[in-house]
Amino acid sequence: MSIGELLSVYGEKYLQGLLTTWELTIFSFIGAMIIGVIITVFRVCPIKPLRLFGEFYVQIFRNIPGAALLILLVYALPELDLILSYHSCVLTATTLIPASFCSEYLMSGINAIGIGQIEAARSIGMTFPLMMRKIVIPQAVRFSILPMTNLLIATMLTTSLASQVPLSPTDLTGVVSYINTRSVGGVTSFLISAFFYCITAVVIGQLGNLLDKKVRILR
Amino acid sequence: MSENTVIELKHIDKHYGNLHVLKDVNLSIKKGEVVVIIGPSGSGKSTLCRTINRLEGIDSGEVLIEGEKLPDSGKELAKLRSRIGMVFQSFNLFAHKTILENVTIGPVEVLHMNKTEAEKEAMELLKRVGVASQANKVPAQLSGGQQQRVAIARSLAMHPIAMLFDEPTSALDPEMINEVLNVMTELAREGMTMVIVSHEMNFARRVADRVVFMADGELIEENTPEEFFEHPKTQRAKDFLDSIKK
Ligand SMILES: Nc1ncnc2c1ncn2[C@@H]1O[C@H](COP(=O)(O)OP(=O)(O)OP(=O)(O)O)[C@@H](O)[C@H]1O
Ligand SMILES: [Mg+2]
Repeated sequence: MSIGELLSVYGEKYLQGLLTTWELTIFSFIGAMIIGVIITVFRVCPIKPLRLFGEFYVQIFRNIPGAALLILLVYALPELDLILSYHSCVLTATTLIPASFCSEYLMSGINAIGIGQIEAARSIGMTFPLMMRKIVIPQAVRFSILPMTNLLIATMLTTSLASQVPLSPTDLTGVVSYINTRSVGGVTSFLISAFFYCITAVVIGQLGNLLDKKVRILR
Repeated sequence: MSENTVIELKHIDKHYGNLHVLKDVNLSIKKGEVVVIIGPSGSGKSTLCRTINRLEGIDSGEVLIEGEKLPDSGKELAKLRSRIGMVFQSFNLFAHKTILENVTIGPVEVLHMNKTEAEKEAMELLKRVGVASQANKVPAQLSGGQQQRVAIARSLAMHPIAMLFDEPTSALDPEMINEVLNVMTELAREGMTMVIVSHEMNFARRVADRVVFMADGELIEENTPEEFFEHPKTQRAKDFLDSIKK
C-alpha cells in the first residue's frame, strides 16, 4: 500500500498510536526523574545501606534489556500474586530503566559541582537534606539538561516495547504490527511511524537546547 | 576555661592514614581575639582550622564552642556550625544563586528568618563589604576579590560568634588582596573573634592579637605578633621567618 492509502485507512490508528507513545513517554519520564532523584540522593547520603541500595538499583536497571524486564513483569509477577495490567507492565519497564540513567547523569552533575560549595553549605549549618534540596540537586539538574534531553528521546524509543503486549489503543510501533497482520503495509507502514518518532525527537532536542541555554550556570 | 573562651581545642589528634597531621593540639581563643596561624605548607594549618567546625573529623580530643562540646554529626552539629563562619581560599559561592541569594540563603533556610528582612540585612552587609551594586549578578560575573567579600558577607549574615579564614587571599591577584584584607581588618576592629590562616605577614602584624606558629602538626610557638616576629623563641620559627624574608 502507498503512504496515501495507509494514511486514509489507518490514519486514525496512527494518531492514536502517536498519542499513546507520547503518553507513555511523558509518564515514564516523569516517573524516571522522580525515582532517579531519589536513587541519587540515596547514592550520596551518609547512610551506607541506602548508598548500597542506590548502587544496586543502578547496576540492575542500567544493564537489563527492556524486553527482558517486560517479560519478567508480565510472566513472573503473577507468580507472586501481583498482576499488573499490560499497560502498567510497560509503564513500569519504561520507567525503571530510564531512572537508572537519570541517576547516572545526576551523579555526573553532582561531581561537576565541586566539593567547595558542599563544604560552604555545611559550614553555614545546612543539614544534608537541606543542602541536597537547595544546593546540590538544583545544580546537578542544570548541569544535566542535555543528557536528560537525550534520555527523554531514549525513553520514547523504549516505549516501543508496548508493541510486544496487547494494548488498546496501542503505540506507534504496535500500529505497524496491527496493520501488517491485516494488510500488507510493508516497510512503508514502518516509515510513517518512524517519521512520527523522528519529528517528536527533533522537537524534544530543540526544546532541550533552549532550556539548557536558559538555565545554564555561568562558570 | 575562662568565661570568655569562644573556641577551645583540647588534645586534638588526627591522622590521615599514617600521617599524623595534628599532634596533641591545644588552643583556646577568647571572645574578640584575632589569632593568626602561620607555618610552612603541609604543617596542618587548614586541617586545624577545619576541625573547629568539624569539616574534618578528629581521632581524639575535644572541640568546645562556648564551652559546649561539638557533636560528631547530625542536626546538632549543623546548628553549631551555623554559628561559626567560614571563609575559604576558593570563595565557594553557590554558583546557581545570585549574590544576594548567596547571602540570604543561610538566614532564610537555616535560621528561618523572614525573607524580606533577610534581604534587607543582606543588602546592608553587601554594602559594608563594598559589593552592593553587584547584588543581582551571579558569582562568575564577579572578580575574585569581590567574590571573597561576598563570601565574608554570607558568613556574617549568620551572626557568627567567631569566624574562620583559611588563606582567604591566596587565590587572589595581588591587586585584590588588600580589598579583602581591609574588610577583615574592619571586622577585627569591630571585635569579631577570628581564626585566620594566612601568609600575609604584614597583615598578621597589624591585626593579630596572637600569632600561632605551626609545624609538622604541632603548635610550636604562640606569642604576640611583635614578640613573635622580632624575637622568635624556637629555631623552627626562626628558620621559617628567615625563609619567607628571602
Ligand atoms: N584529605 C586528605 N587526605 C590525606 N592527606 C591529607 C588530606 N588533607 C591534607 N592532607 C595532608 O595533611 C597535611 C596537612 O595538610 P594541610 O592542608 O592542613 O596543610 P596546610 O598547613 O594548610 O598547608 P598549606 O599551607 O599548603 O595550605 C599535608 O601533608 C597534606 O598533604
Ligand atoms: Mg592550607
